[in-house]
Amino acid sequence: MMPLRKFSIHQPSTVAEASQMLAQYGEKGRLYAGGTELLLAMKHDLLRYEHLVDVKTIPDLNRIELKNGALMIGGSATHRAIERSAIVKQSLPVLAEMETKVANIRVRACGTLGGNLCFAEPHSDPATLLTALGAKAHVQGKAGVRAIAMDKLITGAYETSLAGDELLVGVEIPVLAKNQRAAYLKFQLKERPTLGLALFLELDGDNIKKASAVVGSVSVSPTQSEQANRLLTGTRAQVEKQIGDAAEALANAADPVDDTEGGADYKRHLIGVFLRRAFVKALA
Amino acid sequence: MSGETKTDFQIVNHSIPRRDGRVKVTGKAQYVADLRLIGMAYAKVLRSPLAHAKIISIDKSKAEAHPGVYCVVTGFDLDGLNPYFGHAVKDHPLLAIDKVRYAGEPVAAVVAIDERTAFEALEFIDVKYEELKGIFTPQEALAKDAPLLHEKKFEAGALRGFEGDVTAGQGTNICQTHKIQWGDVDKAFKEAAAVIEGDYYFPMTYAYAMEPYVAIADVTDQGVNVYSSAQHPFMVRHDLKNIFNLPVSKVRLIVPFVGGGYGSKSYTKVEPLVAACSWKAKRPVKLQLTVEEAMLTTRSDDAYTWMKTAVDKNGKIIARQAKIMMNTGAYAENSPLVVEKSTNRCVGPYAIANVLIENMSLYTNTVPASSYRGFGCAQVTLPGESQIDELATKIGRDPYEFRLQNAAKPGEEFFPGMRPFDGTLKQDLDTAAKAIGWGTPLAKGHGRTVAVSGSDAGAYPLTSTAVRVHADGSATIMTGSTELGQGSHTVLPQIAAEELGITYDKVNVISSDTAITPYDRSTGASRTTTLMGSAVQEACQEAIAQMVVMAADVLKVKKEEIQSVRGGVRCGEVELNWSQVISKFYALPDGEVIGRSYIRKSGKFAALPVFWEAAATGVELSVDEDTGKITMEKLATVGDVGLAINPALAEGQDIGAATMGMGIGLFEELVYEGSQLMNGSILDYRLPRFSDLPKQVELHLVQNRDGVGPYGAKGGGEASLNSMAANIANAVDKAVGVRIRQAPLTPERVWRALKEKNK
Ligand SMILES: Cc1cc2nc3c(=O)[nH]c(=O)nc-3n(C[C@H](O)[C@H](O)[C@H](O)COP(=O)(O)OP(=O)(O)OC[C@H]3O[C@@H](n4cnc5c(N)ncnc54)[C@H](O)[C@@H]3O)c2cc1C
Repeated sequence: MMPLRKFSIHQPSTVAEASQMLAQYGEKGRLYAGGTELLLAMKHDLLRYEHLVDVKTIPDLNRIELKNGALMIGGSATHRAIERSAIVKQSLPVLAEMETKVANIRVRACGTLGGNLCFAEPHSDPATLLTALGAKAHVQGKAGVRAIAMDKLITGAYETSLAGDELLVGVEIPVLAKNQRAAYLKFQLKERPTLGLALFLELDGDNIKKASAVVGSVSVSPTQSEQANRLLTGTRAQVEKQIGDAAEALANAADPVDDTEGGADYKRHLIGVFLRRAFVKALA
Repeated sequence: MSGETKTDFQIVNHSIPRRDGRVKVTGKAQYVADLRLIGMAYAKVLRSPLAHAKIISIDKSKAEAHPGVYCVVTGFDLDGLNPYFGHAVKDHPLLAIDKVRYAGEPVAAVVAIDERTAFEALEFIDVKYEELKGIFTPQEALAKDAPLLHEKKFEAGALRGFEGDVTAGQGTNICQTHKIQWGDVDKAFKEAAAVIEGDYYFPMTYAYAMEPYVAIADVTDQGVNVYSSAQHPFMVRHDLKNIFNLPVSKVRLIVPFVGGGYGSKSYTKVEPLVAACSWKAKRPVKLQLTVEEAMLTTRSDDAYTWMKTAVDKNGKIIARQAKIMMNTGAYAENSPLVVEKSTNRCVGPYAIANVLIENMSLYTNTVPASSYRGFGCAQVTLPGESQIDELATKIGRDPYEFRLQNAAKPGEEFFPGMRPFDGTLKQDLDTAAKAIGWGTPLAKGHGRTVAVSGSDAGAYPLTSTAVRVHADGSATIMTGSTELGQGSHTVLPQIAAEELGITYDKVNVISSDTAITPYDRSTGASRTTTLMGSAVQEACQEAIAQMVVMAADVLKVKKEEIQSVRGGVRCGEVELNWSQVISKFYALPDGEVIGRSYIRKSGKFAALPVFWEAAATGVELSVDEDTGKITMEKLATVGDVGLAINPALAEGQDIGAATMGMGIGLFEELVYEGSQLMNGSILDYRLPRFSDLPKQVELHLVQNRDGVGPYGAKGGGEASLNSMAANIANAVDKAVGVRIRQAPLTPERVWRALKEKNK
């Protein structure tokens, strides 16, 4: 890490003002939340910005609340705040549990959910789980407010569908109904996960009516496969029989590559291991 | 933790809290990074993106015109200096000259008013390269058409630390060769009841220290003054004296606290470059590397070992043969000595009648390798201790009993020509085995093993010191030993306090300032307690001898009538403590007595090694067969330290070393893809964390007072690293039946081995 180059920090007090600043600075400016990604990349001289627009000065953007059966988590809520929130622990324990295992305590203490999702680093735990949970991102820019489905937010490695002047103001996550189950598991050796696997199931008695399995970290963005999700429905016994095929379909969709995290075949194998484990955990 | 033995010692062999503990945890301890000289400038380094290339030209005019820049130094600006350094082989230019030999090599340095300005100017330096073919492995270095890394012939460094010739610079890429041989291995293999043979690979690893390399140099007409994070200031002084062609007396190295070394801070690193910057800029200059840059500065030698070991029908090991190829990177640094040591350490600590070990290190276009905790021992203990288990399995023996049968016995001259073995391996092994529950039932998927190592440690015995006893009865130790976190500044005053019979609090330590503290070769090779400890002990005794004479003078009696007692002297009814002796002698309550000691290769230190560093480790682990992931369940370390001057510190060294060895066993590895280091940051290079340690850890010391050091002490702190990778490989074999001959045993490697087995 090298010394930081010079930059100015701007402190907007509303989302509109922040958006206006982003529009004004264009390529030379960037939103700045906890800085755990941004400042690291700047210290490695991988990114250069002259203007940082601090989202933390916008009041209430870090709010966590329950509204109409959905959790609303503000864009600048930190991992630590989410992990410790009584509301989250009560209404969506799978999210709180996932958050306890993101990064390390120092990163969680200042890193935000918005920063995690919008940096779109391919090894994200929240992106994987929130995709399976059917969450929506609320964004706001010059053109107004819009909602983006989680699986449309991240468009590639370090790429999102946000316009240059848009902020992620919050994430809306439906809480689980009585007949819904979810589990998130990850396999991690280094600083970031090698693989994350989220599974959402909707039950009808002993029958699995609907399933959504999402694998993250093995490719540029969280991936699911319609075929895999279909193979994960039916009676429990049926699904147990089909789960190998479902894993195969999911692995085909994710199409992992060889890299320093592991060989493609190893990652494909892990998808099977963790899909099985997540299935057991979700139904436990 | 019960390392204290029943002795009548008052201060040594007690776990006194470490002296530097409070200042370090409260952030008050001063490191070089905290120092600032008046008028000081800052340097930043431009590094080569290419692994092997000719430097055609460097245009620095734009960078020099950048506001705030004092100067830019390149390999073209070094006229007037002897720019090559190296205590073993003078092959290392302080900045690349004419060509670069690895990606990351320093090519230019900017000196500016602050660090940021220096950094910002780097991108304005325009270097034109002509790329050359690179070589990255020993095999490639030996190929017929391999390009030559070093064209010139080198002078062998005077302080290379071994007696053999240097083989570098003879028109090949060979950096160093070494061979040991006794008996007749071929004959023994023919007669053997069982033989095991295999190829092993020990990875490139990085000795991560919290403090990256840092130095401040001030070069003036008066000489060269350098503050550095160097482990061996006197060795660095020697290199700087040659570079600047100065008398020793005009080069001063000052080392405050060092934030960890683990081998990586031994010998000369950034000091020549910083000094050259100061020489050009005509002002003090500080250079502080980042961790990523430190990772481009040194690493361990990775080693390819073919090894073969044989037993007779009674289970006696009768032969061991090995061929080792080490990848030493672009410059020799301390690798010639690593080669010699790893050759020797293939044998230990077993008594084997027939031995042939051939070792060779090769220059490649990678980060230069050098000392690394364990010093060549870990590289060969992976194959060595793996083969002990493999053989035991093959002949149906319990590996622990098989080790007991073959381990060197106390006093046995198991290595021809070397000091007889001065440890007690049976007790070490027994203690480790008991600690991990040897013989008790094991859960499925769990494996349990013990392993040992014994290395010829202590480096070269050349150490001196002075202990000043002051008129108030307090004392100051002047020592060239550097406090790296290992605890020298606690242990040395314990020894002085014990000898002088004064309280521990009254002893102060002044260390590692080559202009003030007497010469000590190095702070490494686990030698400080043994060698500097002995020197401090002798210096105290010499001070006492002087004070006895003074007391006789004061009391107007014959010297023979003075009896020395704890903390002073007695003569008939009269008792004087040291304060009284000195004050009366000078007739003023001030003044001092200086006790001295010079240790060299003679007397009890005539035989090498200075001591055998022995330790056993025991592990229990479990393997998740689905993912290949290893979980450590139990760990035991047993340090065979003779006598622990400070048991808590000795145990701390052992758990530190074992954790580092566990890191190599589980996940540490620098990965090259072609010419580029792929994981050159601690975000990508996986270091051990506290959470990787098992819940059950037992630290034991074996204290038979069999070392040559003070009170029978000998060194520790490296040995429990050496056997860990082998221990993990052996335990994985026990747990799930796969033999992996390569570290680290990453989940993926274990999974692949399982897949292969289940095919
Ligand atoms: C050592 C380490 C380990 C990690 N391990 C894990 C892990 O195990 N699992 C995991 O999931 N993640 C991991 N991470 C990533 C971590 O979760 C993110 O660093 C963190 O959440 C980013 O948040 P931040 O507030 O610091 O973002 P910043 O660094 O401030 O910003 C990151 C990016 O997001 C943009 N941004 C920030 N807020 C908004 C917003 N409201 N709207 C639009 N754009 C915005 C910024 O412009 C910037 O481009 C790790 C990171 C580190 C450094």
